[in-house]
Amino acid sequence: MLHFVFKRIAMAVPTLLIMAVTVFVLIRLIPGDPAALMLGDLATPASLADLHERLGLDRSLPVQFGIWFGNMLHGDLGTSITSNQPVLPLVLDRFWISARVVLIAVLLASLFAVPAGMIAAWRQNTATDLFLVGTATLLYSIPTFWLGLLLLLFLGLQLNWLPVVGYVSFSEDPGAALLYIVMPVMTLFLHEMGVLIRMSRASTLEVLRLDYITHARAKGLSESAVLWRHAFKNAFGPTWTLIGLVLGNLLGGIAVVETVFTIPGLGRLLVDAIFARDYPVIQGCLLFVAFVYVAVNLVVDLLYPLFDPRVTAE
Amino acid sequence: MTRFLAALLGTALAAGAATASAQSITVALNADIRSTNPGVNRDDNTDAVVLHMVEGLVGYRANGSVAPLLAESVERSDDGKTYSFRLRQGVTFHNGAPLTSADVLWSWNRYMDPKTDWRCRSDFDGRNGLKVEKVEAPDDRTVTMTLDHASALFLDALARTDCGGTAILHKDSLKPDGSWDKPVGTGPFRFGEWRRGEYVTVARFDGYQSPPGDKPDGMVGAKRTALASVKFLVVPDASTAKAALASGAVDVAQVLETDVPELNKTRTVEAGFYPSTTKHTFLFQTRDPLLGNVKLRQAIAASLDIPQLVAAVTNGEGKPNNSGVPVTSAYYDAVQAKGYTYDPAKAKALLKEAGYKGEPIKIIANKRVHVPSFNAAVIAQAMMQAVGINAQIEVLEWVTQLDRYNTGNYQMMSFSYSGRLDPALSYEQFSGPKDSQPRKIWDDPAVQDLITKVSTISDEAQRQAIFDELHKRQMEATPLIIFSNGQEAWAHTKRVQGADPWEGKARVWGARVVGN
Repeated sequence: MLHFVFKRIAMAVPTLLIMAVTVFVLIRLIPGDPAALMLGDLATPASLADLHERLGLDRSLPVQFGIWFGNMLHGDLGTSITSNQPVLPLVLDRFWISARVVLIAVLLASLFAVPAGMIAAWRQNTATDLFLVGTATLLYSIPTFWLGLLLLLFLGLQLNWLPVVGYVSFSEDPGAALLYIVMPVMTLFLHEMGVLIRMSRASTLEVLRLDYITHARAKGLSESAVLWRHAFKNAFGPTWTLIGLVLGNLLGGIAVVETVFTIPGLGRLLVDAIFARDYPVIQGCLLFVAFVYVAVNLVVDLLYPLFDPRVTAE
Repeated sequence: MTRFLAALLGTALAAGAATASAQSITVALNADIRSTNPGVNRDDNTDAVVLHMVEGLVGYRANGSVAPLLAESVERSDDGKTYSFRLRQGVTFHNGAPLTSADVLWSWNRYMDPKTDWRCRSDFDGRNGLKVEKVEAPDDRTVTMTLDHASALFLDALARTDCGGTAILHKDSLKPDGSWDKPVGTGPFRFGEWRRGEYVTVARFDGYQSPPGDKPDGMVGAKRTALASVKFLVVPDASTAKAALASGAVDVAQVLETDVPELNKTRTVEAGFYPSTTKHTFLFQTRDPLLGNVKLRQAIAASLDIPQLVAAVTNGEGKPNNSGVPVTSAYYDAVQAKGYTYDPAKAKALLKEAGYKGEPIKIIANKRVHVPSFNAAVIAQAMMQAVGINAQIEVLEWVTQLDRYNTGNYQMMSFSYSGRLDPALSYEQFSGPKDSQPRKIWDDPAVQDLITKVSTISDEAQRQAIFDELHKRQMEATPLIIFSNGQEAWAHTKRVQGADPWEGKARVWGARVVGN
């Protein structure tokens, strides 16, 4: 197991290095000068030159890369061009904000979707199955920004149950913080539940067709015992992998949801940085997202044998 | 479930009530500010917030002229090179320290220090033509500034909002190591808290001394505030801002022009349009093989029904203006009001004269919110196609379009210039030598001479004559088509009055809460 972990970490290092170089090159290929953007149409050649010098953009690309790469190896991801803040603490701050919303939403979605998918599979081609699959398809098809706005208008504006804008951190006021994240969590929960129900149903259907399930039924076991004691562990594996992918994907940024609900999270930071051509922040965010993706999927792979002992760490 | 939510809601409402008390309001910003350091790291949102806390020697009136702000009076020497600013008495900084000429000197020296990164340094150190040679403080209430040559735009440059109004700050704005801390200025509000990505709060400065006047006038006039505090809340999404206004979570916000009629139908919100000196334009690249032909440019101008275009992109609220002089300017006269005439027959005749054979003309536009770039391009395309011009639209992200603008790499562009209150600065925005500044639109040495002259002389009648001449030449040469000045749509809840924005920026020192 330890060998497996070290091997995966060792594989992640070149991945992240390649990612670092690729990100650096690619974002500089995008047209747009961050200094010109900061100065707008009021830029004069002199003010532009001053700003290029201050931001280090007057140096050649290899020099810029060398400086950034060298600093990165020391854990320094540079300083934001727009806000002048160090990038790593900024990314971490925003990440925790996004992570809370994502983790709660994915946990709730998993808790609801896995049993719902299994029930749909158990009741295949009945009204229950049709209802669950139909609901899942509908939820998955609705764009998150539209779903978010609908919740905002209904729960926030019409019913006045929840605040429409703003954000409060848990450390400041846990009660108020909870209120402010209900709608963003609901948006993600509903959308991801749609995805997970379908996967859970599909993998359960496959397992329910296997001989050992027939054997278990022939032994006289109740349907709930067949489902939860025998089918669940084998059926959950693929869904668990999908949960890992969904988690990694969402932790990388839920910019749309953060924009609609005014949450100062990682996704919004990345999108704002792209629009502002804030190279250090873009590089820092993308590197961090890649790291999170690798880490989450490593954890998923390490926990997989718990559900399916046939699959070892190797 | 309902009881649980109600209990939680009660907590939130109680927390919210503290900020919604008597005279506190919430203003929506579509993006976080960049810093609290005036004129250093800024954008429009940053200027809007910071200018509630700091003031300079002079400021803009609503009509674009410059008036004393921290100065009580401004005198100019006969040769036009030396300005004497007499400071107002009784003005104090937020830390209680009285304003003296030493503070003005300190602030100026700090701005001119390259380490400060003041974005307007090059406008005063000679690199952009004007140099402040000497700044002195002969006594506690007097500051003199001596220029290398007379300039009609010196006070304008000091008043510019993107320069932070050349705000006069106290030394306590810096930390002991000399780095920026927070603005300790003389404005009606003092700095409260900045939660990055979330909000900025400012609180009333009880020791504030307002310039004379009975109502706000641009950045001057009466500035004493009735508000106890203001929260500038970051709300990036326009739909969310609209919902926030309707729910009362936000009191003031810029909105989409298409939302104004709907908001005015609600019981709790009022929305309207406010002018700005922003110029909405179609730019031509006069070095393009096709658009280098003045007849073709004139044909495009004749093909556009500008009043109809302006009405369409401003929901009927905008006024057509083809002049580089803003409609709100004192220099906007009958000559400036003469613009292009919609004449499709003339357009077709001009196309024939130009030898146009149907080659594609690409109009670059962007889809930023609050600018009519894309909508204007779509309407212009239809009007141009109606007379036989093969107009195509290329939509680019704003930063990419700005890059193309700066390098001159385009044929035609739907572009909005930020506001410049003095018409000379307005013409300077798009006129100049393309060889050294590819972003310039109108490259004509004779025009440059006129702009240099009008930037130097102060006599209003002479300046008017030059602006009139510039306008006539612009109509003839058609290096660009200015179609209107800005009409920004803003809304406020009915519990707040007097929160009229200025030049597209929130301005709330004149606001008061009239009900809950």
